[in-house]
Amino acid sequence: MDRRQFIMGALGCPALSAASLSLSALTPAFADDTVKLRDLYNKDLSFSDYALEREGKRVSISGFMAPPLKAETNFFVLTNRPLAVCPFCETEAQWPDDILAIYAKRVIDVISFNTRIVTRGKLELGTFTDPETKFVSRVRLVDAVYDKA
Amino acid sequence: MKTALAAVMALAISSNAVLAQSALPQQNSKWFTDAEAKIQEMVAQQPNTKRAKNVILFTADGNGVGTNYAIRLFSGQQAGLLGSEYVQPQEAFPNSALVKTYTTNGQTPDSAPTASAMNTGVKSKNGMINVDESVAEGDCAAGLDHTMKTFAEIVSEAGKSVGVVSTARITHATPAAVYAKTAQRDWENNAELPEGCQQKDIAAQLIDQMKAGVIDIAMGGGRGQFLPKDVKDEEGKGGKRTDGRNLVEEAKSLGAQYAWDEDTFKALGDGGNAPVLALFESSHMKYETDRTGEPSLAEMTAATIKNLSKNDNGFYLMVEGGRVDHANHDGNLFRTLTDGKAFADAIAMADELTNDEDTLIIVTADHEHAIAFNGYCGRGSPITGLCYDVDGAGVKHLDKPLLGDDGKPFTVAGFLNGAGSVLKKDDNWTGSRPDLTQEQAMDPDYLQQALIPMSSETHSGEDVALFAKGPWAHLFNGVVEQNYIFHVMNYAVNAK
Repeated sequence: MDRRQFIMGALGCPALSAASLSLSALTPAFADDTVKLRDLYNKDLSFSDYALEREGKRVSISGFMAPPLKAETNFFVLTNRPLAVCPFCETEAQWPDDILAIYAKRVIDVISFNTRIVTRGKLELGTFTDPETKFVSRVRLVDAVYDKA
Repeated sequence: MKTALAAVMALAISSNAVLAQSALPQQNSKWFTDAEAKIQEMVAQQPNTKRAKNVILFTADGNGVGTNYAIRLFSGQQAGLLGSEYVQPQEAFPNSALVKTYTTNGQTPDSAPTASAMNTGVKSKNGMINVDESVAEGDCAAGLDHTMKTFAEIVSEAGKSVGVVSTARITHATPAAVYAKTAQRDWENNAELPEGCQQKDIAAQLIDQMKAGVIDIAMGGGRGQFLPKDVKDEEGKGGKRTDGRNLVEEAKSLGAQYAWDEDTFKALGDGGNAPVLALFESSHMKYETDRTGEPSLAEMTAATIKNLSKNDNGFYLMVEGGRVDHANHDGNLFRTLTDGKAFADAIAMADELTNDEDTLIIVTADHEHAIAFNGYCGRGSPITGLCYDVDGAGVKHLDKPLLGDDGKPFTVAGFLNGAGSVLKKDDNWTGSRPDLTQEQAMDPDYLQQALIPMSSETHSGEDVALFAKGPWAHLFNGVVEQNYIFHVMNYAVNAK
């Protein structure tokens, strides 16, 4: 599915799901090959088989956009549940372990922290320190696109 | 004549009362016989007026009457029941009260003055721990002159041991109230102190209290508060201190046993009189549902009780289920409930390891949250899921979810405010309730719908419940002020 199809899906499905509860399972966040961020990890935070099998491939992951560090950036962090606090901005921020660093294709438009989004990009595994933000990630989506779920 | 007739009739009714009851058509109902048995249990109940050797104070942070209700249903449904009929371990205790949680300046409290009230016997201002109400929050200098003596200090002078266990950072407000005095609850490490402030940070106070012999065991999260900025902990996370002090090493030099994961926890031995410091995460411990590589609250409680029980003079132990509160703040009811069940498991463990004759166990909360419940759900509607219609012909709910006037289903529980708000910033703070399936609502990461948009759901000022058993537990009755809890504990350990 390309991005245009994805957005059409995002616009189309809620109307369907409103008509029938059984159809709401088709809403984009749960559609076709989209998985949740937590599906990348096992409980002990090792990578899941799903992640290991798709390293280097484009995948579609749903989650929430944590408030980004700055306005003009192509980087944000995807979380399993809404995280209101910018993790870079406060020393006391509680940064969950199960996150996904997103390097978007374009400068991002911020979506509020509690609106579910779907991101699609190439899955990279392994520790990487961002030279600009110094952010250390274990898993990333690069060349990513995203939209509201 | 009319009066005489009335008197005769009254006599006839009263003398036939027993006979009439024996013929009640409902007398064989289980509801009826269970309640009759409860009457006999209550009649036979005798107050325990012995001196309490041990006191265990359980608080699940943010576990008010509503949250406790949700945990009850969840635990019951996990056990295969409809839910409402389930009895949590503390709910079987013989004594209970409702507790008013307001503070001297807060209709809605936070966890600092509420824990302070339980540990000192007086209410004080929001944001402060064991500092009296004359001080303004954050006034470091004034705070130093207005500290209060804690229950831990009182009983340790009397020869008892003291333990504190939490799934939150051990320097977080509730556990801190067992050992620290601070004009600001956020002063957990020295870097948080305002410039020129002479008060010691909370982590440093814990080590001081260990050194002074007041605190014997401390288990929880919060390693980062004890380590210098340039030191990485066992899991690779950096410390927060800017004074260069490594408080873990300082504790070890006092002879303390130290644990940081499940293996080192299991390896804790009989250290004699040496204190125990266990710090299982850089910050808070994991939610129960996400927990790997660290002990449960019940396991920490058991290990602590076994260790403290070596003291023939007894002990005071405060156990906090610290993350019931955090999950409520997140609006994620599933984790509220799984941590609530872990809290109940710790209570059952403590009850099993102690004797009602000499141990006063109190189970309460510091405050409630902005949680609320919808209706009219049929029996067995999953507490984290949708509200299903009542079956007029049966017991368990129908398969039909109830709908709002917007034609959409709704969950049994929700929040008045928080991150689950249906009003979105991206939509200029407008919005509508999204459609919702049972599968989506039951997802462990689901946030219940909320009204007012807030990044973090709030506490509420609603009462919390208190359950108690053991010596002088019968002093809990009716509706009490939160600071009264200290006075019952203090009375129980000093009773003649």
